[in-house]
Amino acid sequence: MKPKVILGIIAIVAFTSLLMYNFGESISTYTDFEKAKEMSNAHVPGTWDNSQDYGFSKETMQFTFYMIDESGESRKVIYPRPKPNNFEEADRLVVIGEMRGDVFFANEMLMKCPSKYNNADPSEYVKASES
Amino acid sequence: MTEFGPVTGIVGKVLITLSFLFCLLSLIYYFLAARGEDDKKLKIGNWMFVFKGLFMIAASAILVMLIFQHQFQYYYVFNYTSLDLAPKYLFSAFYGGQEGSFMLWILFSWIAGLGLMRWTRAPYKAPVLFFLGLTQFFLISMIVGWRFGDFTLGASPFRTIAEEMPNAPFIQANPDFVPADGTGLNDLLKSPWMMIHPPILFVGFAMMTIPYCFAMAALWKRKYNEWVSPALPWTLGSNLSLLTAIFLGGYWAYVTLSFGGFWAWDPVENASLVPWLIGTAGIHTMIIQRKSSVAQKSSLIFAILAYVAIVYETFLTRSGILADSSVHSFVDLGLYNQLLIFMLVITGLGLGMFAWRYKELPSPEKESKILSREFMTFTGAVLLFVLGLVIILGTSSPILGLLFNENPTPPEISFYNDWSMPIAIVMALFTVIGQYLFWKKYDLETLATALVYPLLITSILTIASVIIGEVRNAYYMLYLFAGFFAIVGNSWVLGRLSLQNPKLIGGSLTHVGFGLLLVGILASSAYNRPLLDKNTEDYNEAVLRGEITDPQGFRVSQTIDMLELKLNQPKLINNQYWVTYEGYDLSNQNRPGQQTYKIRFDNTDGKFLYYLYPEVYPMLATSNAENVNWSVDPDVRTGLMSDIYLYVAGSSFVEDRNEQIEKRNAVQPASDQVEEQVQTLKFQKGETKEVGSFRFSFVDFVQADSVNLPPNTSIGIRARVEVFHEPSGQLNIIEPLFAIFMEGDQNYVMSPPVNLTSHELSFQFSKVNPEDSSIELEILGLDEVYEDDWVLVVAEKKPFISVVWAGTFLLMGGFSISIFRHWGRERSKQTEVIS
Repeated sequence: MKPKVILGIIAIVAFTSLLMYNFGESISTYTDFEKAKEMSNAHVPGTWDNSQDYGFSKETMQFTFYMIDESGESRKVIYPRPKPNNFEEADRLVVIGEMRGDVFFANEMLMKCPSKYNNADPSEYVKASES
Repeated sequence: MTEFGPVTGIVGKVLITLSFLFCLLSLIYYFLAARGEDDKKLKIGNWMFVFKGLFMIAASAILVMLIFQHQFQYYYVFNYTSLDLAPKYLFSAFYGGQEGSFMLWILFSWIAGLGLMRWTRAPYKAPVLFFLGLTQFFLISMIVGWRFGDFTLGASPFRTIAEEMPNAPFIQANPDFVPADGTGLNDLLKSPWMMIHPPILFVGFAMMTIPYCFAMAALWKRKYNEWVSPALPWTLGSNLSLLTAIFLGGYWAYVTLSFGGFWAWDPVENASLVPWLIGTAGIHTMIIQRKSSVAQKSSLIFAILAYVAIVYETFLTRSGILADSSVHSFVDLGLYNQLLIFMLVITGLGLGMFAWRYKELPSPEKESKILSREFMTFTGAVLLFVLGLVIILGTSSPILGLLFNENPTPPEISFYNDWSMPIAIVMALFTVIGQYLFWKKYDLETLATALVYPLLITSILTIASVIIGEVRNAYYMLYLFAGFFAIVGNSWVLGRLSLQNPKLIGGSLTHVGFGLLLVGILASSAYNRPLLDKNTEDYNEAVLRGEITDPQGFRVSQTIDMLELKLNQPKLINNQYWVTYEGYDLSNQNRPGQQTYKIRFDNTDGKFLYYLYPEVYPMLATSNAENVNWSVDPDVRTGLMSDIYLYVAGSSFVEDRNEQIEKRNAVQPASDQVEEQVQTLKFQKGETKEVGSFRFSFVDFVQADSVNLPPNTSIGIRARVEVFHEPSGQLNIIEPLFAIFMEGDQNYVMSPPVNLTSHELSFQFSKVNPEDSSIELEILGLDEVYEDDWVLVVAEKKPFISVVWAGTFLLMGGFSISIFRHWGRERSKQTEVIS
């Protein structure tokens, strides 16, 4: 083989390995509150626990709510921004941050909303029309 | 209507089925025509192709009609529209859902096919139409909705609610159940930008099919050179459409959503960026192939991969795979397997044909020199392609992340930024050298001489912006340098070309646009600052230094990026603006229940600048009497140097409304509190507050005469307060006393109550705040509770967003000029052939 080809292959392999290594480093794994205690930047998926108080406090400038993770544990979550649009509608939340004691401090929060792309539940609609 | 309705749906299904069958027939004829170079079969194929599209148009017309007639027994109509939707949004609901968007895609692809039929020459004509028909075959199969036992082929837009959810209790009770209203369109999507975004995107998707078809036809017919000229204008057109769609999506996100940016590396955004990048790579190699008969292999592979990228990203966004990682991917319609087969066939055919012919593909006789337009353009194409691969890798995290763990999250945003920045820097530098070499031959020495002035100007610009913009980061400096170099160097070429032949400026114009885009992206994202008052700024700095702890003793790591504004109380923001909240307006709103807030900006000299009008409204589609979901609509003040972006994150009005709703929902109605209690009101000098039918104004401080003061008084002051009773028009002036005196070693406050017997009110001057010379009054006897009127705003200053848009427009302009040039040349070639 020509030296140029060998050099090219080395460059491609080096680039790909570096890319894949960095990619592997930058992705994390979805987890639950219990395991998040050992992580610094944990992604915890779950659903909003609407049986507990929630809301934005003007004093602390934080939005507080409870979330049930996929192991069924409900924990308090503190999010340092206003309550996002459609929060109540989200059928799935992903909070990203860290556990401190029994409270999860979310730096970021993703919401999966039943938007136009998604199925709305028509049974809910029927109830609304009956009322 | 309801009796007529079911028939209409069946007609629609039949039309799609006919379209599907005609597509299949035309495929057979095109295949035979391509293999035997048989003109008669080609003609028959063309007729089938035309009919396929006519059936699809008829089916689309029926769907639009059902939507306008509000036939809610159809799931698609029910799910995407409602009675209150304006006609323009009823129309856009046609392509608002997955099924309809497939129809729109097919229609545009069909129209492109008609163009190909008219303009493509032998030997490419039949095979090109064959491959186009093949992609349409897959697309139509997504919406035919045939059921074979447990398996359904495609999801029909004409399926009824009963077919969609046969097990729902209300369907079991009454199979003919027709809902009275639909669920409607998400309020965020009720935007003109979102109306035109999907059609433009699908025009781009449809046109990007054509270079794929040409490449495949070239491989089939072993004609590896001539296909580039007719394919080039289509690729350019596709790129222009995709770019416009990306721009519209970004602009919509910026002015409508509350994340405050135009790009978030969301998989759905990436889905249109990656084909654009690979398509652009293809444009580069096609141009040098046409000019110098090199890079045949890479033109073929990029043309194939650009469309493969579209199909792959379609698979990712529509199969439900991204459900966790994208905020707005489509719902899974059970098309996973079909989409997978589509993707595998398109990819397998493309790469298979390429591999099969690889040995006989032309190779350049000698390798290009580094300082040649061929090498530079080719490198640019490879960089674009690599950037596309990096983004595909990130977007594929739900699949490729499985290599690293069982439940992978999407990569952090930094993954995209870390990789795209160095690639962009190299690209920017290469654009200039490439453009210089494209029009003239240089060696190292002459090139260096030619670049002296551009480099000089670039250095001045970079140094100036580093100083003015207080850029501290060396990496950013390099990036800025590269960006400015692309702007200056390409402008230089642009200037020279426009003197010689303005028709040729397309390329250099796009490269200037690219440079502007780079500089604009850095300025607007890395130097994006929240607008905050001094206290919050100090607090945030302390947080960053790690000095703040919460009551549990944990270190606070989150800064506050919000601003509280009280009615008519200006706040000094960033030492640059006085910002005042001047109330809200509930009348004449375009959405029911909407509040339009009035936020005034003055500069520090007190000169009026402008008002911003952010809005808050209840999301109609998801709100009801028991539960209102508030949504925000930001306002953006666009400027040449910077934008002010602002939205209301909370307000006293919204809080009151929520409390009222909660009270109404409570099982026991809360008793009306007429209980008398002391209220403490804080006043600035000159401020007026309204409580029920009273208006209180704190006029000024008044000296207290020492006669009534106890000995050893250190402070003794009165406040002149006007009390205006609106119903009676009575104005009273009171002057309650506030004094601090010493007795023994201790300080005591003396603030005797002042009674206003005519209204049974009692006042006490309870506190002076020396720092802002405000006072507190305790008032007893008021029937109503004083409520502060406040808003919580999130405001950001984004420098040079205008440059991002300007760069995008230049890119669009450059692409348009190139389309005209290449299209014009193609047309003149055809007239030569005919005449």
